[in-house]
Amino acid sequence: MSRRPHAIVLAVLAVLSASCGPKEKVVKIAVAVPLTGDMGTEGQGLRRAVELAVEEANAAKRFPYKLVAAPFDDRADPKEAVNVANLIISDPRIIAVVGHYNSGCAIPAAKVYARAPVAMISPAATNPEVTAQQLSPDWGGPKMVFRVVPTDDVQGPSAAEFAYRRLGKRRMSVLHDKTPYGQGLAEEFQKTFIRLGGKVVTEDGVAVGDKDFKALLTKIKGGNSRSEGIYFGGLYTEAGLLLKQMRELGLKDPFVFISGDGSKTSGLFDVAGDAADGAYLSIPGVPVEDLPSAKEFMAAYEKRWTGSGEEVKPFDHFGYEAARIIFAAMEQGATDRPKMIEALRKTDFTGVLGQTRFDEKGDTLNKIVTMTRAKAKDRAFDSLR
Amino acid sequence: MHFEAHFQQIVNGLTLGAIYSLIALGYTLVYGILAMINFAHSEVLMLGSFTALGLATFAPEVFGASPLGLAALFAVSMSVAGLVNVLVERFAYRPLRCISRLAPLISAIGVSIVFQNAVFLWVSTQSLAFPQPGVGSQVSLFGANVSSLQVVILGAALGLMALLHFFVEKTKLGKAMRACADDLSTAGLMGIDADKIIAITFFVGGALGGAAGVLYGMNYGSIKYNLGFLPGTKAFTAAVLGGIGNIRGAVLGGFILGFLEVLASGYIPDGAQWRDVIAFTVLIAVLLVRPSGLLGEKMAEKV
Repeated sequence: MSRRPHAIVLAVLAVLSASCGPKEKVVKIAVAVPLTGDMGTEGQGLRRAVELAVEEANAAKRFPYKLVAAPFDDRADPKEAVNVANLIISDPRIIAVVGHYNSGCAIPAAKVYARAPVAMISPAATNPEVTAQQLSPDWGGPKMVFRVVPTDDVQGPSAAEFAYRRLGKRRMSVLHDKTPYGQGLAEEFQKTFIRLGGKVVTEDGVAVGDKDFKALLTKIKGGNSRSEGIYFGGLYTEAGLLLKQMRELGLKDPFVFISGDGSKTSGLFDVAGDAADGAYLSIPGVPVEDLPSAKEFMAAYEKRWTGSGEEVKPFDHFGYEAARIIFAAMEQGATDRPKMIEALRKTDFTGVLGQTRFDEKGDTLNKIVTMTRAKAKDRAFDSLR
Repeated sequence: MHFEAHFQQIVNGLTLGAIYSLIALGYTLVYGILAMINFAHSEVLMLGSFTALGLATFAPEVFGASPLGLAALFAVSMSVAGLVNVLVERFAYRPLRCISRLAPLISAIGVSIVFQNAVFLWVSTQSLAFPQPGVGSQVSLFGANVSSLQVVILGAALGLMALLHFFVEKTKLGKAMRACADDLSTAGLMGIDADKIIAITFFVGGALGGAAGVLYGMNYGSIKYNLGFLPGTKAFTAAVLGGIGNIRGAVLGGFILGFLEVLASGYIPDGAQWRDVIAFTVLIAVLLVRPSGLLGEKMAEKV
């Protein structure tokens, strides 16, 4: 009696494997980003960008095997990111990872990838620690973390210079959301702003998920601090609520609101509405629409992905570039995970971002930051020069 | 700090407190009768605000910004939230009522997860913009910025609380409710249809939660599938602080919690990140001194 089920299982397995037929060789690129939740729109954009790059490579028959983009949802949650990373390293067909979106996710996930080891290129995580952690003596593998996006120690200081020099602000309030990304950005801003001669008059952390910042904003407004603006390190939901409640309390021009790339997304207008108008948001790199080198990418993207909510998101060109850097390495003979890591270190790639080369930490040497200003009427961000 | 800033903080605390109080009432009403914590209440709140958003999106001409449209918006959203709560009671709690005290509690957590994920999967995973009538018109009161929306929030919350007070204290149904709260089985022996009274209690509690959901959406201008969790937890805390089961206690607890949060983030240096720690430390301290809450009666063990 105990034999029979085994026989059935074997028979089923035999049928299943027969029906698959001779398999085409497949090489996968994992896309580990938030696909659902608050950061889902940004993650979906990155997935579309990588899929576009993969489809282009397949259509051009660049490789004697089929490329597949394998999306994984980390839900912008560090715990989930580690789960996803473990899934990724256990699939031998995955040769490299494009991800993660959040620094809070990229930092722990990178530790998992180091064990494999499999190369990871982050298109969006900007906390310096994402790559800097590889220099620590207890790092459990080779240096295999790369990123195509400039870090917070570029973006934060640049925003501070902007506030001090361009806007002439001398007294700023600094807020952050207590995440590695937000706090890191805020600290970099603060360091440079003080070094330039400015004064940080208040400094507070808020919790992700908080809705009510009125008491805090009233303190900033009413205190003897004579604050001239807020620098916020965090993401668009909190940034939007802050903006909205600021305006309700009468904190308007010339009182400024400056934040980073995590807030520069159309979601800001959903949360803040008209209150978003006039907010300054810095982004690493150059907005894709201002990049002459990205014209073809934009056209191809818009042709491939049409429909509501499927427009280009702020980090998509970084994701696209990351995938194409991986393809370039594959063309140079990086056919397995260790060779991929080696090849990526020697990257010298010219594409939509301009020239990308990595320093010894794995950070891009292409360090440009652009300041933009929100325009609620058009739901757009105008680049300032 | 100047006087106007203090006054502004008072307004901030009042708006926050009013919303917490309304939600806390839903917890306390149900607890008063069944001695059960309705963990699905935070989702009733969320469904109330999504109903309102649906109405405002698909029938803007009916549920517009006119006072009448607003009243209709509240009435429909409250009814939907109330009905949802009644259905939850009927199908998820009532069959378990006599089995054990723990079973309905677990059932409530289950219902909460089901609702949250249903909205997450079928409606939206993102923050959605919520209409904010009257947020633009600001009144300067003693130098503080008070929007007409804040007046609406405070007015609606206080009005609903007064209505509830009248209902519970002065009407026959209210009397039956109090009887059930005192002793469910004895009330049944006296000819009160306990199941009906429980259903009504859930309807009233759910409707108040729905109203709070609409006010919450209006106050912050955006809603999300998980919006109920945080205010739900805090309102539950407020209900315990005031003495769970006690209606006036829930209102008192809600306002105290609102002011504590404002105090922490507005007056204590670096207090914003410690806000919840401060608020909950006070809560623990109060409960150590008065385990049944500020206005809670010393409870005899229910058999």
